[in-house]
Amino acid sequence: MLALMDAIAAINAFMDTGGPILKWIAALTFVMWTLIFERVWYFKGSLKGDVQSALDTWEARKERKSWNAHQVRYALISRISEKINGNMDMIATMVALCPLLGLLGTVTGMIEVFNILAVTGGGDAKSMASGVSQATIPTMAGMVAALSGLFANTFLTRTAENEAQLLADHLTMDH
Amino acid sequence: MNMFAKRCLIVAAVGLFGASTAFAQDDQAKSLDELLKMVQQSKISESKEHKQREAEFLRDKANQQSNLNKAKATKAAEERRSEELEKKYKEQEIQVAAKRKQLQERLGSLKELFGHLTSTAGDLRSNINTSVVSAQYGDRTVFLDELIDKMNSATKLPKIEEIEKLWYEMQRETVEGGKIASFTGTVIKPNGDKLTQTIVRIGNYNLVSDGKYLTFDPKNGKIEELVRQPDAFTANAAALQNATSGFTKTGIDPTGPAGGSLLQALINSPSLEERWHQGGTTGYVITAVGAFALLLALIRFFALVGISSKVSAQLKQEKANPNNPLGRVLKVAEDNPNVDGETLELKLEEAVLKERPAIESGLQLLKIISMVAPLLGLLGTVTGMIVTFQAITIFGAGDPKAMAGGISGALVTTVLGLIVAIPTVLLHTFLNGKAKRVLHILEEQSAGIIAENAEKK
Repeated sequence: MLALMDAIAAINAFMDTGGPILKWIAALTFVMWTLIFERVWYFKGSLKGDVQSALDTWEARKERKSWNAHQVRYALISRISEKINGNMDMIATMVALCPLLGLLGTVTGMIEVFNILAVTGGGDAKSMASGVSQATIPTMAGMVAALSGLFANTFLTRTAENEAQLLADHLTMDH
Repeated sequence: MNMFAKRCLIVAAVGLFGASTAFAQDDQAKSLDELLKMVQQSKISESKEHKQREAEFLRDKANQQSNLNKAKATKAAEERRSEELEKKYKEQEIQVAAKRKQLQERLGSLKELFGHLTSTAGDLRSNINTSVVSAQYGDRTVFLDELIDKMNSATKLPKIEEIEKLWYEMQRETVEGGKIASFTGTVIKPNGDKLTQTIVRIGNYNLVSDGKYLTFDPKNGKIEELVRQPDAFTANAAALQNATSGFTKTGIDPTGPAGGSLLQALINSPSLEERWHQGGTTGYVITAVGAFALLLALIRFFALVGISSKVSAQLKQEKANPNNPLGRVLKVAEDNPNVDGETLELKLEEAVLKERPAIESGLQLLKIISMVAPLLGLLGTVTGMIVTFQAITIFGAGDPKAMAGGISGALVTTVLGLIVAIPTVLLHTFLNGKAKRVLHILEEQSAGIIAENAEKK
C-alpha cells in the first residue's frame, strides 16, 4: 500500500514538473493504448466467431462458382476486413500525434522560460528551471509514447493483414 | 514659426530705426553729403574735447602725492587691527577646545549610547521605508528624521521622550509585522479612481482589499490595486477579509524587501489573449485557418453522419431508395435487370465513381490544413526570429529583456500551428474513417448486396 502511494506521489511530481501538456500526452497515450488493447481483444476473441459465421454462410451456399457467388464472397471478405481494420487508422494517427504534442510541450515550455527571462532579466537560472523541465519532459514523454505505440501498431497492422489474408484463403471456390 | 520670424524682424527693424533716430537727434542729415560733412565737424569737436581733458589731468597731478600718503596711513592702521584680531582668535580657539573637552568628559558613556541610538534609528528608518506596515501607520519616518538630525548635530541632544518613542516604534513595527490587521485606506484603482476601502494587511507581506491584491509604494504612501491579479488566490483573499475568527487559507507573496515582488512581476507576464496577439499576422492567419478547419470538419461530420445512417437503413431494405449513395448504386442494378455480370459490374463502378466526390469532399482540404498549420507556425517563428535579430543589430545583445519578448512572440506562432494541427489531424482521421466505411460498402459490397437480393427472390 505504501509502495503504491509512493508510486502515485512520484507520478504526481512528474506530472507537475511536466506542465499541462504532459496531461494531454497522458490522455492521448491512454486512449491510444485503450484502442490497441481493444484491437488485441478483438483479434483474440470475437474475430474467430466473425470468421466462423462468414465461413458458415459461405459453406451453406449451394454453388460457389457463379458471378453472384463471387460478388457475395467479396462482400463477405470486405465486411470482415472492415471489422479487422476498424480503429487501425486512429491508432496510427495517435502514434504520429504523440511527438507533435511533445513538440507543443517543448514550445510552451520555452515560452515559459523566455517569459521568466523577460520578467527577471535572466539573473536567476533557478527560476527558469521549471520552464526548462516543462519544455523537456513532454518531448521525452511524447517520444516514449510514440515509440511504445509504434511497436504495437506494427504488430497490429501485420496481424490484421494476416487475418484478412487467411479469411480470403478460407473462403475457397473449389467445391 | 513663420509668424514668429516675421514679428522678430519687425521688432529688430523698429529697434534699429529707434537707435538711428536717437543718434541723429541733434543733427539731422538730409543727404549723404551732408552726413559726411557732419562726421567731419564732429571729428573737429572731438579733438577739442581731448585737449580739454589733457589740461584737467595736468591740473590734478599736483594732488596725487597727498592722496598716496593718505592711503598708506589707512593700510598701516588696518594691519594693526588684523594682528589684534588674530591674537584674539587664537585665544578663543584654545577656549573652544577646552569647552569641547569638557563636553566630551561630561557626555562620557552617553556618547556610546547616542551612537547606538543613531544607528538603530537609521536601521528602523530604512525598515519602515520598505515596510507594508507603513501603509497603515503613515508619517512614522518624520519623527525618525528629526531624531537622526538631532543626533548628528553637535549642539542638540535628544530628549528622553524621543528615545522612548524610538523604542515604541521599533516594538510596534515588530508586533504589527506578526498581525493580520484591517484598516480603512484610499486605494487607487487601475482606472485611476480613488476609493476609500477596508484594507487587510497580512503581516509584513501583502495588502488585500475586496479579494484583490494591492501594492504599496512607501515613497509616496500610495496604495494601488495590481492591474493583474493572481486569480488562483483572489478567492482566498476575499475569504480572509470576510473571516472574523479561526483559520483561513490564503496566498502571500513574501518576495522582495517589502513582499509582493512576484505579484508586481505578474503585470509584465502577458495573459493568454496578449500571448495570442504576440503571434502577429501569422498568428491571426493560423487562427483563421484553424477556425475554417473546425467549421469544415463540423459540416462534413453532419453530412457523413446523415449519409452513413441512410446507407445503414438502405442495407436493411430490399428496395433501392435514391436518397442515399448505396440506394442510387443499387438502382442501377434494378434498372438493368437483364444485363450480364461484367456489364453490370462496369455500370456499378461508374455509379460508385459518381458518388465518390460527394462523400470525400473537404477531407483532402482538411488534411492539407493539418499539414499547412505547423508550417505556418514555423514561418511565424522564423519571421519572429528575423525581427529579434534585427533588434539585436540595432540595440545590441546587451538587454535580454528586449530579445526575450520577441522570441516568446515568435514561439507563439509555433504553438498556434500545433494547436490547430493536432485536432485537425484527429478530425481528419475520424471523418476519413467514416467516409471510408461508406465507400467500402459502395465499392466492395454493392455487387454482393445485389447478388444476395437476387438470390433471395
